[in-house]
Formats: sequence, C-alpha cells, structure tokens
Amino acid sequence: MEITGIFKYLYELLQSTGLPQVLVDIIALASAAVMIFGVLAVIALFLVWWERKVSAHIQQRFGPMRTGWHGWRQTIADAVKLLQKEDITPSTVDRPVFFWAPVIAFVAAFMVYVTIPFGDGLIVSDLNIGILFIIAITTFTIISLLMAGWGSNNKYALLGGMRSAAQVVSYEVPMVVSVLAVIVFAGSLSMVDIVQSQAKIYKWYFFRLPFGPIAFFTYIIAATAETNRTPFDLPEAEQELVAGFNVEYSGMKFAMFFLAEFVNMFTVSAIGATLFFGGWQGPLLPSWVWFLVKTFALVFVLMWFRWTYPRLRVDQLMEFSWKFLLPVSFANLILAGWMKYSGWFNW
Amino acid sequence: MSCNMVFALAAEKLAGNIEVPERAEYLRVIMLELNRIASHLIWFGTTSLDLGAITPFLYGFREREDILDLFEMTCGQRLTFNYIRVGGVAGDIPREFIPKCREFLGKFDAKVDDYERVLTENPIFVARNKDVGILTPEMAVAYGVSGPSLRASGVRFDLRKDDPYSIYDRFDFNIPAFHNGDCYDRYMVRIQEMRESAKIVRQAIDRIPDGEVRAKVSINFKPPAGEVYSRIENSRGEMGAYIQSIGEKKPLRVKLRGGSYNQLQVMPELVKGHKIADVVAIMASLDIIMPEVDR
Amino acid sequence: MIAGVFSQIGQSFQQLIGDVSSNPLFYLISFVLILSALMVVTLKNIFHSALFLILTLFSVAGIYILLHAEFLAAVQVLIYVGAVAILIIFAIMLTSQLTSKRIVQTNEQVTVALLICFGFLGTAFLSIPYTVWRIADVALPAENIFTLGKLLMTDYVLPFEVVSIVLLAALIGAVVLARREGS
Repeated sequence: MEITGIFKYLYELLQSTGLPQVLVDIIALASAAVMIFGVLAVIALFLVWWERKVSAHIQQRFGPMRTGWHGWRQTIADAVKLLQKEDITPSTVDRPVFFWAPVIAFVAAFMVYVTIPFGDGLIVSDLNIGILFIIAITTFTIISLLMAGWGSNNKYALLGGMRSAAQVVSYEVPMVVSVLAVIVFAGSLSMVDIVQSQAKIYKWYFFRLPFGPIAFFTYIIAATAETNRTPFDLPEAEQELVAGFNVEYSGMKFAMFFLAEFVNMFTVSAIGATLFFGGWQGPLLPSWVWFLVKTFALVFVLMWFRWTYPRLRVDQLMEFSWKFLLPVSFANLILAGWMKYSGWFNW
Repeated sequence: MSCNMVFALAAEKLAGNIEVPERAEYLRVIMLELNRIASHLIWFGTTSLDLGAITPFLYGFREREDILDLFEMTCGQRLTFNYIRVGGVAGDIPREFIPKCREFLGKFDAKVDDYERVLTENPIFVARNKDVGILTPEMAVAYGVSGPSLRASGVRFDLRKDDPYSIYDRFDFNIPAFHNGDCYDRYMVRIQEMRESAKIVRQAIDRIPDGEVRAKVSINFKPPAGEVYSRIENSRGEMGAYIQSIGEKKPLRVKLRGGSYNQLQVMPELVKGHKIADVVAIMASLDIIMPEVDR
Repeated sequence: MIAGVFSQIGQSFQQLIGDVSSNPLFYLISFVLILSALMVVTLKNIFHSALFLILTLFSVAGIYILLHAEFLAAVQVLIYVGAVAILIIFAIMLTSQLTSKRIVQTNEQVTVALLICFGFLGTAFLSIPYTVWRIADVALPAENIFTLGKLLMTDYVLPFEVVSIVLLAALIGAVVLARREGS
C-alpha cells in the first residue's frame, strides 16, 4: 500500500471544490502539519513505552505488563495523567521565560519534520537546504534549555541548563561535520536527493568505505550527546543536579519537555537512517515501513547505549568532543572530499 | 549478620566457657560470607548508579535477591537478620538450603564476569575512576580506614587472616590487594573479594559437619565482670564490639564500631582538587553507609 | 517634498525586493523584527533582551526566506541563533548582577548618541532613493545553493579564505588571552 496515492487523491478532491489555489495549498500544508504532529505524538508515546520495555529487558525485568498486551496502554495512561496534573508555576520564576521554554522546545522538535522524508514522496516540503534547515532548527532546543534553566530561578535548573547548552553546542560541531561528509558525496543538501543517491544497498553511505562508517559513528556519538542521553546525560545527572533543567516543571509543561526529548531522539535516528542507511529505500515493503524500521533500529541503539554505559564527567565530556570527535570528523571530511575528488569508490 | 557475629564473639570471649559447636561455626562462616557478598552487591549496584549506569544496579540486586532468599529460608528475615546467637546460631538450616546455595554459587562466578564486562573494561567507567580519589597507605592507616578501602591502598590487612576468628584459618582464600588506592582499585578489590567469598562458602558447604548448632547458654546467663573487645572483618572493614560487664544479666556498656566512620573522615582529604562529580564517585567507592557512621 | 522622498523610497524598495513587498508575510515579519529589536534595547532585564535578540535574528532569517535566500536563512539561524546568541546568553549567565532593578540604560552621552543615530537614519533615507541600484535582470537560479557554492569556491575563493584566516586569528587570540590569565 502506498500512502502517497491517497494524498494525491485527497489533494485533487480539495482542488475540485473550486477553492483558490492558495487556499488549497494552505489547507493541504496545514493538514500535513497536523498529520505529522499526530503521527509523531503516537511515535513519541510508543518510544516512551519502548524505552521502558528495552530497559526492562536489558535489566532482566519485564517493565509494564498489566495494562494491555505487555503494558502497551501504560504510556497513554501516563500521558493522560500528566496532562491532568496541576500546572504549577513557582512564585519566583521568570514567568514569560518559564512559560515559553517548553513551547519552544516542543515547536523546535516538531518543526524539523518539515524536511524529513517518511517515505517515497512522503515529505512536507523538499527544501533544497533540507539538512541545513534541520540543523538550524535544532539550535532552538538549546535556547529552550537555557530559557528553562534561567527562567526556573533555581540553581540546579540553571546549572543543568548551562551544562546541556554547553554540551549541545560542542557536540553540534562534530555532528555537522560528519553530516557534511555525506553531503559532499551526495552533492546536495536536499534530503530526498540524499536518499535517492543511495538506491542500492552498497550505495548506502554507511558502506562507503572508509569514510562512511567513521562519519556514521561520529554522527551517532554526537547525536547521543545532542539528545542528552547516557553516557552524555550530564544535564540531568541526578547525583549532582537533582533533575537538571526541568526540575521546576510539572504537569503539561513537563510533558512537553518530555515529549520533545523523545521526538528529538526519533529525529536524530531518522536523520541517521536517511543519511547513512538509505532512508526509505528497500525492497518489497512500502517505503515508509522501511524508513520506520531503520529509524527504530537506530533508536534502539541509542537506548542500548543509555542502559549500558555509566556517565562521563563534565570535563571528560568536553575533552572527548573537542580533542577526539572533532579532529576525527574533520579528518574524515577531508578524506571524503578527497575520495569524491579523486573519483574513487564513486559508484 | 556481622553485628550478630561480633557481639556473640565478644560475649563468648567474656564468658570464656562457651564451646561453640563445629556445625555452628561453619554456618556462621557461610552466613558471614554470603552477607559480605550481598553487601558488596549493594555497593556494586549503588556505585554504578552513582556513576550514571542504571543497569548494573539491577544486576547486582538480582543476585542479592538469591542471597536474601537463602537468608529468609534460614532465619525468616530478609533485612534485619538475627541468626547468630551467643553460643552458636539460632537454629539449623533447612534441608533445601545446601542445594540452593550450591546452585547460587554455581552461577555466581559467571555473574561476576558479567559485572566485569559491563563495568571493569568500560572506558567511561575507567576514565571516571582511575586516578580519582587516591588514598595513600600512610593516610589510610593514619585515619584508621579498614577493609577493602585499605587493601586497595596496598595494605594487605584483613582480620580473617591477620587475627583469625571463628574458623577462618581452615579455609583457603586470598586477600586481594592493590596499590594505587584510587576508586578503580577500590572497585577491583571488592569485585575480587566477592569471588573469594564465594570460594570460602563453597569450601564451607563441602565440609560442613553434622551435629548441634547451639551450645546450651542459659537465659539468665551472667558473664563475669570485666571488659572485652572483639573484632571481625565485615564488608566495610573492621567491625568491633566492646562490652563492659559488671557481672549482671545486662552489660554496663556496649559499643559497636563500624568501618564507615573512619572512611567518612578521609573524604575531605580525598576530594581535594577534584570535580563535584568525582565526589560522588569517591564517596561511592569508599562504601560509606551513613547510618553506620553514627553507631 | 517628504512625500516625494517616501514614494521614491517605496519605488526603490519595490525594485529591490520585487514581489516580496506584496506578500503580507513580509509585513508581519518586519513588524516582529522591528518590535523585537526595540525590545532588545529598551528592556531592563538583560536576559529578556538576549531572548528578543534571538527573535530579531530569527525574523531576519524569515526575511531571507522571503527573498529566496534559503541558504542564507539557514546559516543565519545556525550561526547567529545557534552560536552568537548562545554565547551572549552564556556571558549573561556567568555575569552577576545583571537583572537588578537599579540598572540604568542611559548615561550623559545619550543626546549625542541620539543625534548621531538620527543623522545616520536621515542619511539612509536620503541616499536610498538617489542611489542607482544594480539589479540583475536574470531570474534566480533554481539551484541557488549550488551556484553559491560554486561561486564561493571559484570567483570568491580569496575573500572566502581570508575570512577564515580572520576567524582563525580571532580564535588563536582568544586562546592566547585566556592562557595568559591562567599562568
């Protein structure tokens, strides 16, 4: 079953109503946005459940088991509970900043999906700056962290916010540079072009030796740090900082941070799958199934990291980024450029 | 368990004429060593948790669960064990204890290998612990640090070997010791001690004789007047009991000494020049149990 | 006369941005831009000012998008919001006493500064209509990133590299300054 056909039909149906073209486009885009939002909300809920299951099975437990089949209704119940909770705003917070921080985190997390192709043709808008757009939008996550840290008027929140901002800024550099290596080879910033340049499995950038795997590993490490997950989960190191930047948040606002976090995890995995594993390309199954399979495989890797590793120390974290990851990814970029230029492996 | 033990030892020493049956001595050793393993498992779990790794915590508790089952089977309690009595132990072990214990020991070494795979060789774990919180042998001795933390600094001092009590002189086991005195060595000492303790328990259940488990001690037992101090090696170092008796049913004074107090005292020396995150690691590696500090 | 100048400005503006001026989004973004820029300089809470600065920079990116310069917009967000603004916020957070109520935003030079500012504004107003803008008649290339990249690496390679050397020098300078303080 291909979904794009349905969309085409719906679009034509909308056109046949005789509305002006501008309005048709606005309605189409708005409904696409709403749909993506719905899909992502479901995915985020699923990821919360999945994280619990993965962690439980890594730790030889079962995790939630009582609500529905293997506890699948658990996160739905949790989400509903979280939304019903009293929305507490402590009296000493910087109100506007405190209010807008989760909103920005939430919006930034979802805005990225404008240029992520869920399948063949399943993309809201194939911007020609695709990947650059994603990287630009994710910087708003940092702003939201800083706002949450500052706005909470709490030392733990402030320290957590600053830590995560410092961390995200430093890991953004190797992440972008490792993405650049792929861009050099694809010759385009558009996500669709990048996917289409990996039509065959041996063309996946992950298998372009030697630069592909290096770029992927630097990417996935930097991405783990970007999403503030173990072993880079310093912003929420509970032994030092209680809970990090979101310590003062509760109810709905906390839910927004929480959801944004899981959506971000899905985002970095989706980018990883798109850039290195051929995105939606794959035989037999519909394209969006392939995309989801690959993305969830990468999400699993991130969860695997989280439930296996201890946490780094702040200085070690920075050292790792600046003294190891960055030089490696730069060397890799030069290598990729040279390979492209010399025409080697240029299948 | 070790508090039971050290108090019983002190009372027996004070009374002077209590003959503890052979089987009871073996049972005491088995329980003490299982307790040491359980305690180190908690330490292992909480340490990894303090360093941000959540999974090893549950691994440690999984094995501790087996030990608690054994204890529950023996004395009916899972936390506040009260099994060792003056003159022996409270009662014999149930019949299924030995096979259960063998089963546990059979898989335990493989589990410790698992722990080592998760943490010992993990570069992040090594980076967090190597050369962090170095406790020099001189400092350790000066502060009266004992137990695994002392042995990690290179002082091979263990009361089980150096001042043997009960029947520890009959078993073949090693006292692991390292020389750097950093958090990593303290970790390694405890991991190896778990293996050694398992070795002791294995030998003990192989050799345990049949017979009585408790010498006759009257309820109105009145020890002679005088004072006595006895000490044993528990999981956190030297555990001591001091009893001052005036020849009555109740002692005049009883003082229990735990290892945590001295280990807490070295903290200010160890954390100098380190990051906040290292304080967490150092504190965890010393295995300080706060309630024990103020006994 | 003033009306004449304004209509002249309007015309050059039309020429400059073409179809953009008919786009309602342009006015919305410009409004947000100017408002947030005013907030940056008038707010007393410097952290809020920094946040409004981010909004200002983001609105500039919005205008770039309307001008079909998507690449520039993305780079604007990436560099100004992602790096510069965050650096500013960091500086604010590490500095004490920045949010107190006693902060004065003006000093005795305020009149002079205002005069100079209005001077510049007037100059700009007068010069825009009388400048002959060179506007290429060719349509925008469809793949303008592609063209941009090519040009940066061919015709403009020297300025491009010079910029990186300037940045490198700044970087080394910062390291040197920081080191001297340490040792």
